[in-house]
Amino acid sequence: MSLSRRIAGDWYDSTIPDNVTFDATNLIDTSYSFRRFRSRVKNALVLGRGSAIYANSGFDLGPHAHVEIGEFTMINGAEIVCDEEIRIGAHSLISWNVLLMDNCRAPRSLEKRRAYVDAILRNDARAISYQAKPQPIVVGANVWIGHDCVVLPGVTIGSGSIIGARSVVFESVPELAVAVGNPARVIRRLDAAR
Amino acid sequence: MPSQDPQPPANVRLGPNSRISGQDAFKRYFSKREIGLSLGERSCADGAKFAIGAQGLVTIGSDCYLNDCILLVEQEVRIGNHVMIGWNTTVSDSDFHPIAPAERIRDAIALSPLANGMARPDIAHKAVIIGDDVFIGPACTILKGITIGAGAFVEPGSVVTHDVPAHAHVRGNPAAIVSTDRVE
Repeated sequence: MSLSRRIAGDWYDSTIPDNVTFDATNLIDTSYSFRRFRSRVKNALVLGRGSAIYANSGFDLGPHAHVEIGEFTMINGAEIVCDEEIRIGAHSLISWNVLLMDNCRAPRSLEKRRAYVDAILRNDARAISYQAKPQPIVVGANVWIGHDCVVLPGVTIGSGSIIGARSVVFESVPELAVAVGNPARVIRRLDAAR
Repeated sequence: MPSQDPQPPANVRLGPNSRISGQDAFKRYFSKREIGLSLGERSCADGAKFAIGAQGLVTIGSDCYLNDCILLVEQEVRIGNHVMIGWNTTVSDSDFHPIAPAERIRDAIALSPLANGMARPDIAHKAVIIGDDVFIGPACTILKGITIGAGAFVEPGSVVTHDVPAHAHVRGNPAAIVSTDRVE
């Protein structure tokens, strides 16, 4: 059964937004994933061949956000908060309750933070993109991010790497590394040939 | 969608323009206090889960936004004004089980289908106090007895095991202070 804008058997009464690009090889569980999707750019979310969005993953995308998901990549119940750009390469595995955010949105300044909270409370969708400069996230190919991890703005994760469960990634991780902890640190290197 | 908001129990006080949404908000709400949960004005708990024991009390001030977090409360959690708590964050004022091994065995039996009315051992609780203008990012854990001072900024994913001074910026597990400079 090929995927359509109105997903067959969807428990949530909505559709996949028009600027999400997918084809018959993709899988999306439910339109609930797009309840905070506000991007107006063309091809705001592009799914590579054979990629899948499972288990109530969420796309909280600001008006200018662009997200790319590589071929055969699995998003298994993660939350993606994007105001500019998040790219995930091919054959990557993103586990449940992982949070990828290219903009923390909450300002450090007390005064601006109050204004931010007030703006959220005045907005019915509770979805406000703070206008601080987002810092894009790039996740390479063949990356495995364990459950409950947080990947913060500006982070690049090199291809072939693994991020251990419940890690919080503040700084970029090189290729073929295993990084764990909060804040995450590289504890091992992997052999590309294996 | 206000029509889908859950009906709050009788001892929940919602101030003007405050709102609690999400079907799981009160699934584990058992407070027997005169008031078990109160929200000030214009505060919003979207998808927050209030798992509150019989003696538990949660007080939330005005202009707060709680997004898909969980509050596990046996004694008290007090939240000031203009506080934000992010997605998937847990705040608890209890250890849930005894630390001492022998007591923990008793607790396991008391919780089992074979408990036969056996009482659970005493379990440590201590109030959590979150000051005004505090930001707690998504995926954080705030443990029993913690006080977070006014204006503090808790980075996403932090596990807060010690008190946070006012205006401090903390991150990590355990959360460590990055700076204590007040940012106006």
